[in-house]
Amino acid sequence: MQMRRDHVAGAAMLLAGVLVLAASTDLPFGTLASPGAGMLPTLVVVLLLALAGLLLLGAGASPPIAAIDWTDATHALRVVAVTAAAVALYLPLGFIASIALMLFVLTFLVERKPFLIALAFSGGATLLAYLVFGTLLNAPLPRDFWH
Amino acid sequence: MEATLDSLALGFSVAFRPDVLFYAFLGCLVGTLVGVLPGIGPLAGISILLPVTFGLDATKAIVMLAGIYYGSQYGGSTTSILMRIPGEASSVMTCIDGYAMAKRGRAGAALTIAAVGSFVAGTMGVILLTVVAPPIAKFALAFGPPEYTALLVLGLLFLAYMSSTGLPRTLLMAAVGLLLGCIGIDVMTGHFRYSFDIKELGDGIGIVPVAVGLFGLGEILSTPSKTVTEKVVPPRLVELLPTATEWRQSVLPIARGSVLGFLVGIVPGSAHIIASFLSYAVEKRVSRTPEEFGKGAVAGVAGPESANNSASTGAFVPMLALGLPTGPVTAVLMAALLIHGVPPGPMLVNEHPQVFWGFIASMYVGNLMLLALNLPLVGVFVTVLRIPYGYLYPLIIMFCIIGVYEVNHSIVDVWIMLIMGVVGYLLRKFDFDPAPLVLGLVIAPIFELSLRQSLIMSNGNWLIFLERPIAQALLCICVLLLGLSALSLLLKRRDWRAKLAQAEAGEDPSGG
Repeated sequence: MQMRRDHVAGAAMLLAGVLVLAASTDLPFGTLASPGAGMLPTLVVVLLLALAGLLLLGAGASPPIAAIDWTDATHALRVVAVTAAAVALYLPLGFIASIALMLFVLTFLVERKPFLIALAFSGGATLLAYLVFGTLLNAPLPRDFWH
Repeated sequence: MEATLDSLALGFSVAFRPDVLFYAFLGCLVGTLVGVLPGIGPLAGISILLPVTFGLDATKAIVMLAGIYYGSQYGGSTTSILMRIPGEASSVMTCIDGYAMAKRGRAGAALTIAAVGSFVAGTMGVILLTVVAPPIAKFALAFGPPEYTALLVLGLLFLAYMSSTGLPRTLLMAAVGLLLGCIGIDVMTGHFRYSFDIKELGDGIGIVPVAVGLFGLGEILSTPSKTVTEKVVPPRLVELLPTATEWRQSVLPIARGSVLGFLVGIVPGSAHIIASFLSYAVEKRVSRTPEEFGKGAVAGVAGPESANNSASTGAFVPMLALGLPTGPVTAVLMAALLIHGVPPGPMLVNEHPQVFWGFIASMYVGNLMLLALNLPLVGVFVTVLRIPYGYLYPLIIMFCIIGVYEVNHSIVDVWIMLIMGVVGYLLRKFDFDPAPLVLGLVIAPIFELSLRQSLIMSNGNWLIFLERPIAQALLCICVLLLGLSALSLLLKRRDWRAKLAQAEAGEDPSGG
């Protein structure tokens, strides 16, 4: 049998539903006259499992899994990795250092822009954003670690 | 009618205040830019700028955020006509004939027709909103928890029925959204649900990190920079004025698009996208020269552009009158009102008349501003389009991080945004529409509360939903929609939703 797109999607949804159901065991369902905290989540998970089953049933008509275009995945992975690093450093390093670093890595290393232009762009954009959000709009952006 | 005019006068007294005018202008400007730039839609734009409105009062906040929404519908046409790239999903249909007109040297005329059509439709939409919203709100005062429960179920089913990705997939996404909405403290019993000892999750998952992640970051991850072309067919500004024939050809499509768009806008779903698609189909059907469609038909620009603007106004009817978001954008706008302590719904007109009527009046002014902004500044927007995407998307990521962090000053929210970005990327790969997920997340607390209140009221009797006439009527429509979907599934008919999916994927459903 050829693996199809909705086989994977349906199976993932089923797995997610089972996991949520397992995490719901400590939530009281209550009674119909006095519904508990677990009532809606349980009802929704049952609906989710039923719909995932429906998806699996009709999966034969969906395109083969190999037909999904993953050519953009490498770029997406790089962007996620750089953004994750920036988020991890956002509080320890502060807004200016973490964001300038993120912009520089994305433009210079990921997008292969010229070094000096990437440097000027990342520095300029960060400072401008700091001026607009931090100074003009008084948004409390995270301060750098030496403050 | 006299009372409506008096209220509208109150609204204009609010809308013409210099500070409110400024925020309306800012919203329209940002909205146009959001519409122009590929890879960032109105939802991401509104979500990112939501924290900026925290320091404002509710009127200014909603005026600015709504300006971004309807401004983006104007701006979306620019990239469609000049680059054949829909800056906004609802501009997909404008690409077909707008770009064909541009290639024939009529880019300026196409932009003018799109802007004038958008203005007329936007204004007509606001007039209809002025007339329709207050009576609906008055009617909705009769709604109790069972009616609200039925209404929310109907909203979700309508969304699923109208979706181009199919009923099971849409409902699956809505279910995931409802589950995400269950995270945090249960307000009725105080139980912690799925918070896994992370104290930030005690208050639940915010709509902003989810929306920005799914629609802002998710869109960027799905758009590798090498695929974004900066090739623009430059408009000759001296040729901005359409010819007399082009004006004549656009009058009826604008009128039809305005009415059709407003009606579709009221219905839950991606109204502005569906409206532009339907308008294109209607124009092609009624045209004496259908063979012109795909080759630069004026009606193919005028109709869809009018329809998507009118639909974005129509979507405010259920939001303002019933407190029911019909799509992710109105859901975020509703969240913005709630943050400012102004709950949308039937009580809004009476309890916060300045916000309600000030908001409506600002839309009249906003539409004028957009007309004045879009045509003379088209050259500026074209310049913005020339910014290489390799520089643009890192900036958008920066705004996403700032916007999400500033809501609660919580780094957990930023992580949620990042996770949602990856989820949004994967959902697109597997042909899921993330919009119902956001809608599910927003309505989860209202839905749960009204469902549980209904059951407590009836001492656990489910029949309460069938014993009350309004709830009964709403549930009958739900059954009808489910029946229609099942029928369509059984007959495996390729209906208008399949064509919509084709159009959203960037293919020309006209076959041109």
